[in-house]
Amino acid sequence: MNLLHPGARVIDAATGETLTEEMIEAAEAALAPEPGGVVFLPIETTLSSIARYLAAFRLGRPVVLLDPDGDHADLIERYTTTEVHPDLALLLTTSGSTGNPKLVRLSAEAVRTNAEQIASVLDITADEVAITTLPLFYSYGMSVLNSHLIRGATVVLERTGIMQKAFWSAVNEHGVTSMAFVPSQYEMLRRLRFDPAKYPALRSLTQAGGRLRTDRVTDFAQRMATVGGKFYVMYGQTEAAPRMATLPPERLDEKLGSVGLALPGGTFTIEDDEVVYRGPNVMMGYADTAADLALGDVQGGALHTGDLGRVDDEGFLFITGRRKRMAKVFGVRINLDDVEKNFPVTAVAGDDKLCVFAEGISDDEARGLRTKIAEWLGTHFSGVEVRTVDALPLLPNGKVDYRALESSL
Amino acid sequence: MSDLQRLREAFRTSLDLPADAPVDDLQYQDNEKWDSLAHMSLVAAIEDEFSVMIDTDDVINMSSFQEAVRILGKYGVSFDE
Repeated sequence: MNLLHPGARVIDAATGETLTEEMIEAAEAALAPEPGGVVFLPIETTLSSIARYLAAFRLGRPVVLLDPDGDHADLIERYTTTEVHPDLALLLTTSGSTGNPKLVRLSAEAVRTNAEQIASVLDITADEVAITTLPLFYSYGMSVLNSHLIRGATVVLERTGIMQKAFWSAVNEHGVTSMAFVPSQYEMLRRLRFDPAKYPALRSLTQAGGRLRTDRVTDFAQRMATVGGKFYVMYGQTEAAPRMATLPPERLDEKLGSVGLALPGGTFTIEDDEVVYRGPNVMMGYADTAADLALGDVQGGALHTGDLGRVDDEGFLFITGRRKRMAKVFGVRINLDDVEKNFPVTAVAGDDKLCVFAEGISDDEARGLRTKIAEWLGTHFSGVEVRTVDALPLLPNGKVDYRALESSL
Repeated sequence: MSDLQRLREAFRTSLDLPADAPVDDLQYQDNEKWDSLAHMSLVAAIEDEFSVMIDTDDVINMSSFQEAVRILGKYGVSFDE
């Protein structure tokens, strides 16, 4: 597979250096002497990481994208193999759970198709300029990269992030036309009193990685409308490579709260209240062991999302809840029951936050618990909130009253 | 507690650092805990602690502890001991 349209450009904002064909060829040459099979890539927001990513695709070697700040010795040991299925191109860790992550197996076809689907609904042309706002090992960040490379657009690599001046200077210096954010970043943008008029080339914002409150959706859609720009609400999961739906900006007011229409070639059905997506971008399946990497497709193009929802008469999808008790923290799914199994707490989903309640612990204990839970999840500590209560609220049947805890947030 | 101590404390709390961690030489992204998310909490903590509202430009310019000291000076917080 070659994701790179010949016209595509990748520029490092800090150095001004651009990705060259020679860099990709050098990365291919560096991979060549290896015995083949899986490439483990702790992917940084750098030209050399991207060269290696593209080189693995060209060589037909499946690549596992990993957090460069993490320790992956166990994972690498668990999944090292040269016996891989010929369709397999990309492996992403499923987020959240128990420190024993599964891998999502994505075929070259699914990755390429999803990049095309996204490029088509967002109208990405060679004139577009994206900037990195998310880590590339995270499926949303990866999809921004892929959907721009495949259309010959430009991707600016920026590492400081939106809370620093260097980021916003890069936005104007490189004439950035679109930016992608998760809900927690929209809260940061509000704090920064984000005004799109300050960035004359900016044409669109996209949002994925969990539900954004509808008042925030309206707020940002209005801010973009003042400069003739667009705001796209989107829905996806890593298991779908990752995008499944986009809400056309011109329907946003009327369909507020919806995550939009299935991407071209995809469909949504509701089966026992659960959202089921069918499309060419669905994963081949999960992998728990190295041997699973030799498996073919076990999904048949269907993904049971675990989300509860409804589809209206025009095909717009509305997500109403989760089948399992889940939280999303910085766009990453966390199973609340897993949290409770591993820590002496009661866990509920806050706004882009995991909130846990513990009875009668001290402030010091609460602080220690927060650090431990965040480390266990591999998430930033500010995504975990620990609250002390004298006694947990109970339902008449003696079970914890989760609804009361949620409404106390 | 002096204002300087209060600012150090705001940094330690927001960046989840131990109570005795030196912070005077901290730079954004230098410490792995000081990323954009922590920066949000840091700015909020400083605003609460010193009862100020920090402008957007100052928020994104606050790239080190010393820069925070300089910026707070503009809001009438003096760190002379």
